[in-house]
Formats: sequence, structure tokens, C-alpha cells
Amino acid sequence: MPGLLSKERISAPPGFNRWLVPPAALAIHLSIGMAYGLSVFWLPLSHAIGITAAAPDDWKVSTLGWTFSLGIVFLGLSAAVFGRWVEREGPRKAGVVAACCWGGGFLVAAAGVRLHSIWLLYLGLGIIGGCGLGLGYISPVSTLIKWFPDRRGMATGMAIMGFGGGAMIGSPLANLLMNHFKTATSVGVQETFVTLGLIYFGAMLAGAFGYRLPPPGWKPADWTPPLAKTMITSRQVHVGQAWRTPQFWLLWTVLCMNVSAGIGVINMASPMLQEVFGGRLIGAAGTLQDLTGAQKTEVATIGAGFAALLSLFNIGGRFCWASLSDYLGRQRTYVLFFALGIALYALAPHAGRLGSAPLFVGIFCAILTMYGGGFATIPAYLADMFGTQHVGAIHGRLLTAWSTAGVLGPVLVNYIREYEIGRGVPAAGAYSTTMYILAGLLVIGFVANALVRPVSERVFMTDDQLAEERRLAHEAGSRP
Amino acid sequence: MTGTGRSSERGSWLVVVVAWALVGIPLAWGVYRTLQTAVKLFR
Repeated sequence: MPGLLSKERISAPPGFNRWLVPPAALAIHLSIGMAYGLSVFWLPLSHAIGITAAAPDDWKVSTLGWTFSLGIVFLGLSAAVFGRWVEREGPRKAGVVAACCWGGGFLVAAAGVRLHSIWLLYLGLGIIGGCGLGLGYISPVSTLIKWFPDRRGMATGMAIMGFGGGAMIGSPLANLLMNHFKTATSVGVQETFVTLGLIYFGAMLAGAFGYRLPPPGWKPADWTPPLAKTMITSRQVHVGQAWRTPQFWLLWTVLCMNVSAGIGVINMASPMLQEVFGGRLIGAAGTLQDLTGAQKTEVATIGAGFAALLSLFNIGGRFCWASLSDYLGRQRTYVLFFALGIALYALAPHAGRLGSAPLFVGIFCAILTMYGGGFATIPAYLADMFGTQHVGAIHGRLLTAWSTAGVLGPVLVNYIREYEIGRGVPAAGAYSTTMYILAGLLVIGFVANALVRPVSERVFMTDDQLAEERRLAHEAGSRP
Repeated sequence: MTGTGRSSERGSWLVVVVAWALVGIPLAWGVYRTLQTAVKLFR
């Protein structure tokens, strides 16, 4: 009898409603999306010993910040290394392992807080948790694409929207929990980690057990596949072959450039608004440096509101752009991302010089929709190019572009800014060069996307290879 | 379609609504909390 987590146990029964699969995927993505909200713990943890103020042995915020970077690196690495295993063993087993890693990672991190060991924190939320992020992120991709052959972009867009929205639930929840658990001798992070770990473990387990697989070649009853389009293949490329094609590396570059530029903008949007507009944000004269402490606090509150608004546009873009790509086509959607992006990145410094805060805010909101849209549309682009059989594993390998961008984007922004300020450029003006360089990254992405052509006939699997692959993947109905 | 078929279809959509509510309500709460912060930009 097949095991509880095996693929055979999750074949959908006749009449199964495919709209049950996206909530299962969302349960997992909303949980792992808390990765973006981990910064909510850094300030309390920076005085975990001193409680009211930082003690000499307390961790620095910059030291704690490495946990997130490690998590994103291990997200990319685990998705790349275990993508093939996820395809073979199925989404339920992958989801359960992801739940153990992400939920367990919080428990290890709680032990790290208790023993005041930064290495345990890195191990828990960075390495073990990072593996949970990677496995959880790719677990539903292939399943959703197979259930929604008519709306591949929308289906993956819904799940990946969850990853963007996870911090919106997790951050305020973490604040509520820390306030509940804090005492005169504790900042409440350890207990919050344990509680969140258990909540995420339960939610992800529920999602993993909600996955169901369609029979091979399933399609909706009222849907006729469109006539063959050159950029959408009905054949299959093996993951071992896909990553050797120029198309894979062009799409890798597309994702890496879009995400690097987007991460760069996310890092500097709020400080840029505050420094470029200064007192004008609150109807006062002068630059940020000229303001009083109370006025600076007021400006910082507006900056926080701007960051929150950007996160809403980020998740909205994930769903809207990915859904729109089902009608526009994937390549055209990325043409729009890059062409509009280049114009908007180049325009942003002018909006600052014009002194128009609404134009400035509007430009950044539009940019953030395309940052999110770039993440959400890429799985469907891969399915169009390489087929659906190994799309989860191929997507896993492509996510190394995200890990690279996670380092490239912030490093570029920080170093260019330091260099400009070192040359004597005023703080508000130092952002202009950065924006132009980020626009340059989008030019590279535009060219890479324009060069994408259908893959060569010789890389597709033969019918025999595909049948063997389906047999190895324990797919129902795969026996000859 | 038979009566049993209709009721099983209705049941399946009921499960869909419950499943979406389980993920949609926390997400809506998160969006609401974020909007509360975002409105500070427009005050």
C-alpha cells in the first residue's frame, strides 16, 4: 500500500474541484512568506540580554540581518538541489518536509535565543528554515500548472502572491505575540518563535495534505487547447537538459536582473522619499537634516506608510501581472516589465527634482507591481518553454537567480551610494545615479528576454523517455 | 445531471469556499493592517 505521503495517495478522484488546490498552495506560501517579516524580531533581539537597552553581549541588528540573507541563499540552493526530488516524490511529501524545516527552524531559533547562540539562530531560520523556504516555494508550482493549463500564470500568481503577503500576516502577529509574552526579564521573542513555529507547521501541513494531482494530460472539460503557438510547447524537456539550454540562462538573467533592480528599489524607496522630499512631506521647510526630532519622527512614519503601500502593490502585481500574462503571452509581459521599468527608474529622480511626491510615490508603486509580477510570471514562462513535466525542478534551479539577486541588488545600491556620498554628492542626489544603474540592469534583462526563442527540437524528450520519466515519478496512468 | 450529482457539486463548492476563507481571512487581516500603516502616507 502506498505511503501516506506518496504521490499515489494524492491522485485526485473524478469530479475533484481544482479550485481547492490554490488555497492549499497559499497555506504554504503565506507561511513561508514570513521570511520577509523576520526583521520585526531584530530590534527586540538586539537587547535580548539588556531588555530595556542593549547590553555589551547583545547581538547587533546587522549581525541578526544575516539570518535573512542566509535564508534566501538556502532557498535558492535547496530549490535547485531538491527540485528533481520534489517532482519525483510529489508535492505532499515536499510540503511536509518544508513544514518540518520551516516550523522546526523556528524551534531551533528559539533554542538559539534561549542559549544566546547566534549560530543556532543562523542554523534554525537561515539554513534549516531556508531549506523549508525552497521546498515550500516550489512544491505547488508544477501541480498548479497541471491543474490550470488554461490559466498557468494566474494559478502560479495566486500562490506566489501568498509568499509576498506572508509578512503582512506574520509581522503584526509576531508583534502581538511578543507584546503578550514579554516580561521584565524577557523580550518575548523565544516564546513567539515557538508559537509561530507551531502555527506555521500546522498551516503548512494542512496545505501539504490539501494537494491533489490531476491525471496526466488532464484539461478542463470546457477548454480546448489553443492551436500550437511557437512560444508554448506541448512537449517536455528534462530538467537535466533544460539547464544546458541558452533559453534557461536567458530566463535566469531575466529573473536576476528584474529582482536585483527591484530589491535595490525596495531597500532605498523609503529613505529616498524621506531624504529627497525632507520637510515638504509634513509641510515644513528644509531638508531632513534641518528638521527637529519630532518632525523627523513624523517623516519616518510617512516613510513607513510608503513601505507598507509598496508591499501592497508588490503582492497585487504578483496576481495581476501573472494573470494578464495568460492573455498577453509571457515574453510580451516581460517586454512591458523591462520597457516600462527602464522609463520609470529613469523618471524617478526627475519626480524628486520636480518636487512631486504623488508622482514619485506612483512611480515606485508601479515599479513594485512589476517586481512582484516578475516573480509570479516566471513559472508559467518556464512551463511554456520547457513543458510541464519538470517545471517545478527547472523553476527550482532558476531560483538561484533570486539568491544571486539577493546579494547583487543591496550590494550595488549600498556601494554606489557610499561612493557618491564619498565624492561629495548630497545625500538626496546620491540616489539618482543608483536609479540609472538599476535601469541599466533592466536593459540587460530586456535584451535577454528579447533573445528568448523556442527551444531546439533535439532537447525534447522522446515518447519512450517521457514514459520512463512518468514511471519513475510514480504517475498514475503512466504504465504503457 | 442527477440530484445526487447536484448536491455533491454543491458540497464540493462549499468545501472550496471554506478552504478559501481559511487562507483569505488571515490575508485580508494582514492587508487591513498594512493599509492602516499605508494611510499615514496620505494624512
